[in-house]
Amino acid sequence: MKRLVLVIAVLTVSLLLLGQVELVFWTAPNPLQEEFWKETVDQWHQENPDIRIKWSTIPAAASSEEAILIAIASNQAPDICTNIMSGFAAQLIGAGQLVPLETFPDFWDLVDTREMREIIEGWKFDGSYYVFPIYSNPMMMWWRKDLLESVGFDRAPRTYSEVYEFSKAYSHGLERFGMQVIMGRNWWDRWFDFITYYYAASGGKPYLDVERGRATFDDEYGLEVAKFIDTMFREKWTAADLGANPFYMGVIGGTIMGPWEINWAKTQFPDIYNNIIVAPPPVPDSYPEDAPINTFADTKGLVMFAHSPHKEEAWEFIKWVYSNIENDKRWVEITNMPPARGDLGTHAIFSSFMAEDPVFAEYAKYIPYAIPPALTEQYVDVQDMMTQYLVEPLMYGRATPENALSNAATRIRRILW
Amino acid sequence: MGMRTLQRRETIKGWSISSVYLAYTAIFWGYPFVWLFILALSRWNFLTPRRFVWFDNFIRMVTDDVFWQVVFNTFNFMLYFIPMVLGIALLFAIALTKIKFFKTFFILAFLVANVSSGVAYSIIFSNLFAINGPLNRLTYNLFGKTIPWFSEPQLALFAIAMMVTWKFIGYYGLILYSGLQVIPRSLYESAELDGATKWVKFRKITLPLLNPSLVMVLILSIVLTFGIFTEPFIITGGGPMRRTLTFQMLIYTTAFQRLDPGYASTLAMATALLTFGCVFLTRKLIEREVSFV
Repeated sequence: MKRLVLVIAVLTVSLLLLGQVELVFWTAPNPLQEEFWKETVDQWHQENPDIRIKWSTIPAAASSEEAILIAIASNQAPDICTNIMSGFAAQLIGAGQLVPLETFPDFWDLVDTREMREIIEGWKFDGSYYVFPIYSNPMMMWWRKDLLESVGFDRAPRTYSEVYEFSKAYSHGLERFGMQVIMGRNWWDRWFDFITYYYAASGGKPYLDVERGRATFDDEYGLEVAKFIDTMFREKWTAADLGANPFYMGVIGGTIMGPWEINWAKTQFPDIYNNIIVAPPPVPDSYPEDAPINTFADTKGLVMFAHSPHKEEAWEFIKWVYSNIENDKRWVEITNMPPARGDLGTHAIFSSFMAEDPVFAEYAKYIPYAIPPALTEQYVDVQDMMTQYLVEPLMYGRATPENALSNAATRIRRILW
Repeated sequence: MGMRTLQRRETIKGWSISSVYLAYTAIFWGYPFVWLFILALSRWNFLTPRRFVWFDNFIRMVTDDVFWQVVFNTFNFMLYFIPMVLGIALLFAIALTKIKFFKTFFILAFLVANVSSGVAYSIIFSNLFAINGPLNRLTYNLFGKTIPWFSEPQLALFAIAMMVTWKFIGYYGLILYSGLQVIPRSLYESAELDGATKWVKFRKITLPLLNPSLVMVLILSIVLTFGIFTEPFIITGGGPMRRTLTFQMLIYTTAFQRLDPGYASTLAMATALLTFGCVFLTRKLIEREVSFV
């Protein structure tokens, strides 16, 4: 009798296990995000015992991209994965590795629940949507209120002329500069300077036409931006090597920052943190005063891999996580990163959070206007060319804004072609 | 008969002891090595099936401006780095033979540079060389001029060479110091009896007898030059105008960001061959047989 019970028990358990679907799910190796996902996955298991989530962070490697590539090459890739940036997504899409998410019938319902129609447009590739954006970090200017006031500014400079005016008053030899204009010389720095300024100046126009293989930044807006960079360097209102933390040291009055800076600034420089004005990137003088200003979105999303045998179940999980606004609230509380929701600045559930942290609130306001980078597989080469033929010549005064712009555009066309 | 079993037993013992090493080498060295060749002859992006393209990657390499730029950068860097690190390490080694107290302290002090994190000291150096950093403040106050350390190609290479030199003085100095220790005192004493000056003693005794250590340091620093990554990656991003781009930076971005492991393998092979060529040449030209009798 005892033996029979045991056999039956073993049989039922194994039957249950057989009937169970297991989804492999990878998330960013970031302690705060891990905390969020651990709770979320636990809760899912309580509510949905028949779909197990085998959750882990993306395995340790030099970069997430590297780890995912190796996993795919060795047939170990997960069913769903977060932390995918646009350029890498383009590479995965190009290789036919991802599932177009609009093929699920209730995709648009989920998008509408989150008021994400505008946001998701930036992730369109060949008419499909392969990436579900999770968080969106608009790049914003931080200005030191005390330094602005020291030269008679009671608000952040909005236009190039106002930046010039402030810079002229504040800059002093090697000691002080108006703002940091160029963020560095690595290819990814272009996201946070030229592309950010271009989105702001052009009202959010794309800087590449990926389908036709052309650079589109070689226009009147691009020229305004190039002239701005050139002027700041020629007048010595900015410099190439500003040392570490120039903003906190008072070396510069303003710079571009992502929301990831908030937590760090709060703990490292609390006095300065309470003294900053967050503003959109500067725009040309002709930019209409009442129009919203666009900026660059450093954004990452979630993808589903085409090899997954459990696509329906995976979609159920995604829907379950992202249709419940309580999860977004918890996400904000834990990670301090703005979830990709159009209603983040307006929905009542986030209002206490916004009131508590005006800096974060300012970021949230710009999520609808923050645009992700161009979805191109050649992002490294494109931005290398921007560095070498556009930004560096302007920094060192080796080319006119017009020439630098058209040189870079020509080089980039050759890559995309 | 007994002889035979013993021999067999010895053979078995020998193989079983070395098999661990052999297996390790086969898996972690042999297998990737074979793959390097296969990849260099292929076009692949990790994701879609690999296909053979024979020597396309090699043809692409010799016509690639960026590759030649990096070759040029590497030799340009050596021009600053090798004389500087060799000279200063030698001075350090000679100084060590002269001092009587706190020798270990000095050695350790210089070795700290060698074990410190590349990322950490790169940030410190970038502050040191910044437009508003201490070095530029000094030159500005003295001469009314600033030095564009990381904006002028030659200066940027020189600045990185200084950093790497700083890191390796202690280590190379120690190698040279041990080389100095084995030169017999009696040689100097007999030279002194013949009335040799300090300079003659250095040129005729120290330098020739130090040859093995000097060659070793020279080879280590050549190999090091081909492997530089952290300092330019953190500080200059390969700029200005790609003049501080290194082989390792190019290989890394080509493999994992441009998703072109085939071309990256080709570049890696070229780097290995160039390194080997330089080492071979150095030994041919500089290495001498040294005996102390």
